[in-house]
Amino acid sequence: MYHYIEYGSSESPHEDQEKYERFMERIEAGEKIEADDWMPDDYRQSLIKLISMHGISEIMGALPEKEWVPKAPTLKRKLGIMAKVQDEMGHGQLLLRVAEDLMKPYGKTRKDLIENLLKGDLKFHNVFHMPTRTWADAGMVGWLVDGAAIISQTNMLDASYGPYQRALQRICQEEVFHAQHGEAIIMALAEGTEHQRDILQESLNRWWPSLLMFFGPSTADTTGTSKQDIMIKYKIRKSNNEELRQAFLDKYLPRVFSLGLTVPDETVHYDEEKGQWVYQQPDWNEFKQIIKNNGPRSKERLRLREIAYKNNCWVREALSKEAVGS
Amino acid sequence: MERGEEEMIESAEKAKQDPIYLNALKDLIYQLADDDFIISFRGSEWLGLAPHIEEDVAFSSITQNTMGHALMFYNLLEELGEPEADQLAHERQSNVRKNAIYFEKKNGEGHYTEEPYYDWALTVVRNFLYETFKKVKLEAITKSSYQPLANVAGKVLMEQPYHLAHWKIWFNQLYHSTDEAHERLQARLLEASEEIGDVYELGHHATEMEHFELMISEGTLRERWLNEVSKTIQEFPSIDIGKKFGSGREGDHTPDLNQALEILSEVYESDKDAVW
Amino acid sequence: MEETSFYQEYEVFSKKSVKAPIQHQFSLLAPNEDMALTMALENFMRREDVLDVWVVKRSNIRAMTSEERMNWTNRLDNKDYRKTKGYGYLRQKWKEKEQGMLDEKEIMSWKEVKKK
Repeated sequence: MYHYIEYGSSESPHEDQEKYERFMERIEAGEKIEADDWMPDDYRQSLIKLISMHGISEIMGALPEKEWVPKAPTLKRKLGIMAKVQDEMGHGQLLLRVAEDLMKPYGKTRKDLIENLLKGDLKFHNVFHMPTRTWADAGMVGWLVDGAAIISQTNMLDASYGPYQRALQRICQEEVFHAQHGEAIIMALAEGTEHQRDILQESLNRWWPSLLMFFGPSTADTTGTSKQDIMIKYKIRKSNNEELRQAFLDKYLPRVFSLGLTVPDETVHYDEEKGQWVYQQPDWNEFKQIIKNNGPRSKERLRLREIAYKNNCWVREALSKEAVGS
Repeated sequence: MERGEEEMIESAEKAKQDPIYLNALKDLIYQLADDDFIISFRGSEWLGLAPHIEEDVAFSSITQNTMGHALMFYNLLEELGEPEADQLAHERQSNVRKNAIYFEKKNGEGHYTEEPYYDWALTVVRNFLYETFKKVKLEAITKSSYQPLANVAGKVLMEQPYHLAHWKIWFNQLYHSTDEAHERLQARLLEASEEIGDVYELGHHATEMEHFELMISEGTLRERWLNEVSKTIQEFPSIDIGKKFGSGREGDHTPDLNQALEILSEVYESDKDAVW
Repeated sequence: MEETSFYQEYEVFSKKSVKAPIQHQFSLLAPNEDMALTMALENFMRREDVLDVWVVKRSNIRAMTSEERMNWTNRLDNKDYRKTKGYGYLRQKWKEKEQGMLDEKEIMSWKEVKKK
């Protein structure tokens, strides 16, 4: 369906400059860029990096929650969390399709994406390297981790890249269900027995640093690289990491406190003058380790993905020829 | 209660009037509920691990539908005076479960959180055999003398054809692809033929089920099922179907069922006073 | 191993109701069209009504190129003669003759005629 300009085409820099200006005019005017439109190389590269990481994080993100799918405590919870994790896989599908189309000029496919993940070249989101120890963690992922994801995804709902924008539109609509699914689990625990309230508070204590890290460091100084500026310049997202983190705290901290929960940081408060939340920085060195696949469950999660991929290789191989009959 | 030719039992209250009828009815519904429940449990373990992402999503919908069917059957039992659905699903010991043994079999080696060497050939063969069976059994039950059950069977049959079609496509395509895939499927078919013999059994109350026209006879059920299977697999044996591990319909089960029950009731059991 | 040919691109379309046109949903990867069709439904239409699904191999679609989209889809706004707007003066004329205008609303309401 799409026709691509060959990568590294022989067009003169002068022509490229004209195209670049035209491209910037289009995105400034709110037009959407399509897969086969001309785009600057760093736009394509940044999108591939962003969207393949986003997509693969959905796939990897299914794993921590999935641990609780067969264990969910009632039939309705089993069904709800199954539908929710299925959606995560579905979001991965949508996003990987968008990334795959962007990678086409380089001759890369889904296979390369999965293999890059297994080699450690394609990273997945820091939050999905963490263990889920109790049923409350399933709720915490559904409520606050998804809440954070909703904040960062809705921020890109006007993204200049059409296919990504359309995928996000679908995803965010489903996130509304996810948000309520997470809230329902949390609400039952918060209003439940002592045991339930205990596992809920314990879970929040453990997840708090990961939630702060979710949006990444405020500036590149912390980790050495940051794509936030280029993302904003190319109208892919609107806000920087700290703005998103503040928006998350704005929306969710009052709810956390209203359930009688606390966060493991005594300094947390809202600074009325500055109009922002004050909190203790999480350990960004730990963040660096996590995103290098040295987090608490990084290796195990990759191992699951690797087994699923390699163990089923015969299936994909078998159907690689046009199948006979059906 | 003497059954006249066309007597329909329209409500749970009426069914409860004859203990013999009631027991046969409950046993039949337990078989349906437990089959759907254990198949969907095994399906839920696969989530995130299927051969490719698109299939993972499609498979999960089938699993959810199937668990939804189990819930509908458990609800019928609740109406008949049995404990509520969650208790039925999570608390019953393996020796009172009525699912056919083949459906409780583990998905392969390993555990879903650790080294899950799950076998897609087993999953395709098992689900294909299950859905063909479910179709013929439920079709028979749409004519059951217990109206609420016949109604539920009719509803389930509305969404079940998609399940059957899905697994039929998988079976046919893999069976006629590479030698390796063909052999893997054949080995799993052979295994199934040695174990699945309790599937068409109706358990201790078989005679009453037929007498009260709750259900067709075991023989007819078996014949219809094999006929349905043979539309896709001509080679599937029609005589030597074994039941290596006994009859799940009579409460025999393997350690695989206990493994499943331990996982699926872990949180439920952790706090029995809790509302989840 | 030719695993890459497992990943064929299919575009998925679906129809929501008898009155609705077929609508593009998204794309998926599958080894052949039967597989694509069995996966399409639950990948993209889990929460909406669906009456029909099409899958089309992407290579079978001749879509506009980027350039064609930019160059072929611009039209001048001078085609009133093609629309009712160009004939709006009739309303006044009919009014003078004490007749109503047969506009879109009126004509689309002619589904039923009087039974004889």
